[in-house]
Amino acid sequence: MKLTKEPGSARSGIDDWYWQRLSAVMLALLLPLPFVLIISVYSGGVDQLGLLDLLDHFVSRLLHTLLILALIVHAYMGLKVIFEDYVQQIGWRVTLIAGMLVVMSGFGLWWLAIIWAWGG
Amino acid sequence: MTDVIKLSVFRYDPEKDDKPFMQSYEVAVTKPGMKLLDALNYIKWHIDGTLTYRRSCGEGVCGSDGLNINGVNGLACITPIEGLKQPIHVRPLPSMHVIRDLVVDMNHFFDQYRQIQPWMQTTTPTPEHERLQSPEGRKMLDGQYECVLCGCCTTACPSWWWNGDRFLGPAALLQANRWIVDSRDELTGKRLDQIEDAFRLYRCHQIMNCMEACPKDLNPTAAIDSIKRKLLARKS
Repeated sequence: MKLTKEPGSARSGIDDWYWQRLSAVMLALLLPLPFVLIISVYSGGVDQLGLLDLLDHFVSRLLHTLLILALIVHAYMGLKVIFEDYVQQIGWRVTLIAGMLVVMSGFGLWWLAIIWAWGG
Repeated sequence: MTDVIKLSVFRYDPEKDDKPFMQSYEVAVTKPGMKLLDALNYIKWHIDGTLTYRRSCGEGVCGSDGLNINGVNGLACITPIEGLKQPIHVRPLPSMHVIRDLVVDMNHFFDQYRQIQPWMQTTTPTPEHERLQSPEGRKMLDGQYECVLCGCCTTACPSWWWNGDRFLGPAALLQANRWIVDSRDELTGKRLDQIEDAFRLYRCHQIMNCMEACPKDLNPTAAIDSIKRKLLARKS
């Protein structure tokens, strides 16, 4: 006797898998940059005005934007997998994933607003 | 090697016992190169006839006697006694419903195997003689077809413990790949459609317990990666 009624394939999953890996590659490339900046500041290589100039540059803002987007996508995908693994009740699982999406989107928008100085 | 082997064997009869317990046995070494199945047979035939376990071919082909041996899944018939820490703890395959002692319910496992439709599917007319396969095409099946469906890999997989109702598990996915890479099978796309699912396939987090547990030294993780690469290639 079958233990479960088989619902068939949802034809999904590859996108999550793909974005998790793509964001990991982006993080591997971009995440060292802020650490290089921090080390430069602490070693005296860059002063406060120099740091502000660097952060204010269009390319820096673009890289910063890509970094924060990759970070949010990667964290979202990773936590989503954890919820799918451990939270067995579908109601709780969907609620937690949706809640996480709202919180992370809000965090991302807030950070982007800081990067691009929205609102002056 | 000592003349006597000590074993601690999982016992549970749902009709009589409130809960499972481990029972100790001492078994005489009867021959050089003795395997764990020989020790279980000795218990069954000379000490305690109530001990229940599955066995058939006794040489690692039928896959009946998959057990958890000192915490690691394996086939009792090809696991040498020599080298095993004593007392040898023998338990049923993990995460499975125990029918009695070392016998577990394999229905769900084989139901998942059926879901990947493990037979050749074609659309072209059946040729007068057999469907031919080149030596290169046949070579693609090496490392896939040898699976004996003992369940050692699937029941060692934490992802299957958590989501075994939906995740197909390493054994079924290895078999799915066996038909996907078979040059004679003509429904590769349909097969990929059937397993492209966040739970059916992508619950594999490459923990690799399956690879460690496989008594035939197969690599289900690599087979699952091969399926994922095929899905990626199809989409990209």
